[in-house]
Amino acid sequence: MGEIREVRQSDAPRASVTVSAGGARPTLLPRKRRRRDRHSRKKVAFFHYAYYDVAFQFFVEHVLDADYVRLPRPTRRTLEIGSEHSTDYVCAPFKHILGGYVEALEAGANVLVQFTGFCRLTYYGELQEMILRDMGYDDFEMLNFSMVADHPFKDYVSYCKRVVNPSLSVPKGVANMVALLRMVELLDAYNDYYLANAGFEVEPGSFERAREAFFDDMRCATGRSEINQAYRHGMDVLRGLPVNKPAHPVRVGLTGEFYTAIDPISNLELEKKLLSMHVELHRAVNLTNRILHYSEENTRRSIADYVSYEMGPTSSLTIASAKRYMEEGFDGVVHSKSSGCTPEIDCMPVLQRLSRDFHVPTLFLSFDSQTSDTGLDTRLEAFYDMISMRKGRTL
Amino acid sequence: MPSDRKRTARPPRGEHLADVRVIGLPRALMYYRLGTKWRAFFEALGREVQVSRPTDRSIFERGEALSVDECCLASKLYLGHVDELASHVDAVFCPSFAKPGAFRAYCTKFQALPDLVTNAFALAERPVTVLSELLWEGGAEKEERESYVRLAATLGASRKEGVAAWKRARRAQEDHDGQLARAQADLTRSASRLPEEARPLSILVAAHPYVAHDPYVGGIVTDALRANGATVLFADEFDHERAYRRSQDFSPSLPWVVNRELVGAILSLHDEVDGVVLISAFPCGPDSMTDDAISRCVHGRPLLTLTVDAQSGTAGVETRVESFVDILSYQRKGGYLNG
Repeated sequence: MGEIREVRQSDAPRASVTVSAGGARPTLLPRKRRRRDRHSRKKVAFFHYAYYDVAFQFFVEHVLDADYVRLPRPTRRTLEIGSEHSTDYVCAPFKHILGGYVEALEAGANVLVQFTGFCRLTYYGELQEMILRDMGYDDFEMLNFSMVADHPFKDYVSYCKRVVNPSLSVPKGVANMVALLRMVELLDAYNDYYLANAGFEVEPGSFERAREAFFDDMRCATGRSEINQAYRHGMDVLRGLPVNKPAHPVRVGLTGEFYTAIDPISNLELEKKLLSMHVELHRAVNLTNRILHYSEENTRRSIADYVSYEMGPTSSLTIASAKRYMEEGFDGVVHSKSSGCTPEIDCMPVLQRLSRDFHVPTLFLSFDSQTSDTGLDTRLEAFYDMISMRKGRTL
Repeated sequence: MPSDRKRTARPPRGEHLADVRVIGLPRALMYYRLGTKWRAFFEALGREVQVSRPTDRSIFERGEALSVDECCLASKLYLGHVDELASHVDAVFCPSFAKPGAFRAYCTKFQALPDLVTNAFALAERPVTVLSELLWEGGAEKEERESYVRLAATLGASRKEGVAAWKRARRAQEDHDGQLARAQADLTRSASRLPEEARPLSILVAAHPYVAHDPYVGGIVTDALRANGATVLFADEFDHERAYRRSQDFSPSLPWVVNRELVGAILSLHDEVDGVVLISAFPCGPDSMTDDAISRCVHGRPLLTLTVDAQSGTAGVETRVESFVDILSYQRKGGYLNG
């Protein structure tokens, strides 16, 4: 609009003069149609899986473009529900996830997501859906990727569209998927630094607080640049924290089954317990190393003296990472798995052999639905005492 | 998770097994499914085949000593059978099983077997020569053939000899399976012709073949069933392909091919039997989930789920089987109230 000038005189008739820039126009301007709202109001929940729920949230909000239901922190009740409704000797992750699903449904979710894999995981989704429906939860759908396992990528897309969001934008979804993969890499990279240094913090709890703040930042990120920015900021804060790290700290490598070795609820906070003993931790088993940057052939090449076939979904990574820890002179290796996990049980003789050949102690932990961690504390303390004494002798 | 399994052969290994004359087949795990094929294959290549003796307590104990505690019973028995053979034969045949499709998979145990054997024996410092190959069992015909040709090449046979041996082996296995399936079909047919009162109880035993037919594992159950006057049918002695197709109505995402065939056979034979017994070797991964699904979804016939471990006595199993047979006979007379 141009300049508007109003002329007023005491008792003269009112008048106004208007000057507008530009030429004449029709009375009703043609308007741009408003963008269709592609957002779906479906409430999608994942299962609880360590810090990856940050990535799950991004997947739901920016790739599927739907509402995300964040699960409450699992409690003893979660596991009790899970074990009550599953058979005894199904693997522990199944029970944890089932309990989490019940809590998700209680929190209002109406779509539950389950992945597919090479072991029992392939059948998780179908059986869990069956159990939940038998329990009387009926108002939900399952986004079970086993249903499209072995199908081309476009079937994954159309399956997501059908279950969650029919008006899903594919180009935007793909772009955000790329950002999501970057996010997973950065989450893992951040966690690697955290595990290596959090045991030596000067102010108790400072690393944990910084990590929570970092996850909150990541949760708010909406695209690739914000993800990168959150990471840079998070790493700056983490590097700035005072640490008191000895020249030769006790170093422990973590390996094992893909769910139990990663998820702190399943392994009774194994990492936190070891960190509190002032140990430098490394964990090669994570999404980045198994999914994003993984070559089965090359991984198996490095353990060719021990293994010639793919023994299970994460077996080669488990064995190769343990071997690398040992070659790099770690003081101990901790192998954790859920009780009855067939592929990881088959790795154990190989790890025992490695341990004998490289003279590095290996602690084997098997987790089921127990909730008391006193036994674990005792074993970890004994293990730590042994490896730190060994280290004291060799230094 | 993305499927990144490359369809490539294992890296070639230095050892050459051309001078192997006697090949040992452990009477455990997949021997019960593919033993005929393997025997015919190696015999066609001019080798002598030696099968370990049926499982007994001492084989179990040897296997247990070589295994990690948590291993399933069937896997412990396998190591026991390998140990039994190791000193008598030139090489023990321990194949690894590839996964021909998402829903035609085998338990990861079968993938790991050769490495499991090598490492367990290395740990125990016992010598064993393992003859092995990644078998594309149940995959496309070409892939399966090529995997057997590679196996033959390890034994120093030419491609032509390998293909011929594979063809003969495949036919032998098909004949064997067909014969079993026909015999069982005849059995049900002749039973159905008998008058209602005179008909013995027919009970379907659904278990992995290496559980159902191993005298030490499923044998005690089938013996007890027969001792109680029941006719025992086996879910694995049924046309495999037909059973597999039938299982697709039951479950879209059940990954294990053997479990699929068992489920398909249960569904197909459901109306012809009086009861179903599921036997599982503790702690079987695939069964832990499939048995749950079966007991939730297959209704209408009494179902006994038995988990067998290495018991020292058979009394526990006998009691359960006896009470199950009692239930079925009451059921046939019209239920407890009318009996």
